Amino acid sequence: MNKLRFYIFNLMPYPHIPPAAEIESTWVSLSNKHYDPHRGRVLYNEYIDQLAGAETFGYDGVAVNEHHANFYGTMPSPNIIAAMLVQRTEHIPIGVIGNAIPLHGNPLRVAEEIAMLDVISGGRIISGFVRGIGCEYFNNGVTPADSVERFNEAHDLIIKAWTDDGPFTWQGDHFYIPNVNPIPRPIQDPHPPIWIPGQGSLETLQFIAKHKYTYMMVFAPLWFTKMAFDGLREECKRLGYDAPKSMFNACVPTYVAETDEQAHREAKAHLSWVFNTGLKIPDQFFFPPGYMSTKSFRNFVGLLKQGKVKPQADLTYDELVADRYIIVGSPETVKNELGNYCDEVGAGGIIGGGAPFGPMPNWMAMKNMQIFAEEVIPEFREADGLPDYQRVAANSPRSYAELAALKGRPPETARSLVTGGGDTLVEHRLSHLPEVIDSTMGSEDDVRPASAG
Amino acid sequence: MSYIDVVEKIDVPKPPKYYTEPRFEEVMGLPVAYRREGSGEATVLFHGAGFTRMWIPFYAMLAEKLDFITPESPGFGETPMPAWVRSFDDLTILYDQLFDQLGIEKIHLIGFSMGGWAASEFAAYYPRRLKSLSLITPVGLRVDDDPGVDIFQLTPADLMDRLFKDKEVMTQWLPDDDDFDEGIHMYSEFSAAARLMWAPRYNLALERRLQRLTCPTQVIGAEEDRLVPNAMSDKFAAVLPNCKLTRLAGTGHEPLLERPRELADTLIAFIKEASK
Repeated sequence: MNKLRFYIFNLMPYPHIPPAAEIESTWVSLSNKHYDPHRGRVLYNEYIDQLAGAETFGYDGVAVNEHHANFYGTMPSPNIIAAMLVQRTEHIPIGVIGNAIPLHGNPLRVAEEIAMLDVISGGRIISGFVRGIGCEYFNNGVTPADSVERFNEAHDLIIKAWTDDGPFTWQGDHFYIPNVNPIPRPIQDPHPPIWIPGQGSLETLQFIAKHKYTYMMVFAPLWFTKMAFDGLREECKRLGYDAPKSMFNACVPTYVAETDEQAHREAKAHLSWVFNTGLKIPDQFFFPPGYMSTKSFRNFVGLLKQGKVKPQADLTYDELVADRYIIVGSPETVKNELGNYCDEVGAGGIIGGGAPFGPMPNWMAMKNMQIFAEEVIPEFREADGLPDYQRVAANSPRSYAELAALKGRPPETARSLVTGGGDTLVEHRLSHLPEVIDSTMGSEDDVRPASAG
Repeated sequence: MSYIDVVEKIDVPKPPKYYTEPRFEEVMGLPVAYRREGSGEATVLFHGAGFTRMWIPFYAMLAEKLDFITPESPGFGETPMPAWVRSFDDLTILYDQLFDQLGIEKIHLIGFSMGGWAASEFAAYYPRRLKSLSLITPVGLRVDDDPGVDIFQLTPADLMDRLFKDKEVMTQWLPDDDDFDEGIHMYSEFSAAARLMWAPRYNLALERRLQRLTCPTQVIGAEEDRLVPNAMSDKFAAVLPNCKLTRLAGTGHEPLLERPRELADTLIAFIKEASK
């Protein structure tokens, strides 16, 4: 197994908006009149090219996520982008990290879409679940006060829909579904791996430990990520198991160039934009009432008041680098920094290493991806340079021949009664053969003209 | 979720001015905080989303002439928020039970702002309990073409600015920004409001249901309400049978704090008349 896995992630920002100082926020209140769909088209296609390129560059996976009514991440439906990536790539895992399951009227929609993606991709989907950030409750008729309950119930419903044979009835507090019977079912058994992105709240860590899911820490300083990871390890221990390194993914935007100076020169404005402009979110948007329990809110505001965490919009570039929200430098520097980072926090995966961020132009994003792939990734790989997913068999046969060899014919191959054929079931596989179909054709008198004229 | 869950009393910060110890009545497993002073016609006020835990001068003025009772809604003041409170229906049942337990049969009901919505729901379900209904800058109906501002998007400073027309009065009620516990408590109260009112911000059925009222009704609107459009009071006045609409000079959304004397006099006169 490789020392570290690298996932390319693209938030898909729309950066052509007024500068941070001139706007209240990039979320909720900034009018969509600033969105020019013609420019949006170019951006979307560049972003999709970058993600699809990750397979050729040799990354371990690609990841997309869901955000609403903002310019920081313009992917209100991540499953749509994932569907394109399924078609643009062949073997690389694709993470939807994640769908905001409390926000939607019927969680089965997510169960269905992820199952579709998993089937079409041959079992390459990682399914993340999130609550959606506070801002996203303003463009929704779901009260943030129900967010945690709806998340938990939607999760239980989706997992049951994937794992239990349908149909069954769901009688929840928030969702009632008389007939749960999603078709298709996912390829991966019992279901696609579940990732839970989070900000380190105790409730989230306990949820992950209980289900043995994979944790993904969102942007944070190293000390905070370490605190969250340690907390998760402790929760797992409390439940009687040692959490494997693969359970821990850190989100660390990483930019690499020929020299340290050149890397900072190229990355500075764009990575700063992510935090200072993209995440310019005033408290009243970030914490709508009820989104956090009063206890969690007290803890978080306490940290803010003590100056232990700073609003991301106020972080200087030097602070981003010093606190290791981000890693920037020459290949040598980045290799060392990443190695130390992962040793310190105990991470098995990095989201956003070598990935595009902010208003970075396409050429620069590609440059970063290529240098990162050629000069950083091999340091964390075994001698063959392969991503781990290439060391194991695919989750699904890759060809007709392989499928036929492994599975033979379907147990219920398509058969039906055909008019004129009596009570003999006709096997559709053979139904065009004269000895099967001719006896059902009737006399010439019975045959109607092909066209009624 | 069940009506027999027993909810523990909670510790809440005590505002520096006008705080008084409430009494508690356990209703359906929930310790409901309430304050009751005075004698005369039993008169109940449902509060708005804020300024809880205090015996404000306006309450004292009503208690001089009336048997004045004001309960704290679940999640507000010292009444905890149980998991089973999901809607104004739950409040309606809770209050009906509370009045039974307090031995009050008929009441004059006053509802302010969010409490105006709660009072309207109560009135629609239990019209025979009411001797009169008074709504002060209420919310709860749909005002076509004017949804008003989203209170949940406002900063505390913006909210205060929009609550008051009289800025001199406002400065007396500004929260202390350094009061950490009070800040957390306000988030907690707004969380309760978000459970009741996030979406939709109205109950369309009220327009029809309120028409069955036979008791005297009145709406007291602001001179210039910058939180809830004045058209909301107009609409309530149009929907309520035989309704009298008053607009108090010099007031914004908070007449209880801005013009307590005038407001109390208006209410007492109306209740006296309705009691004849």
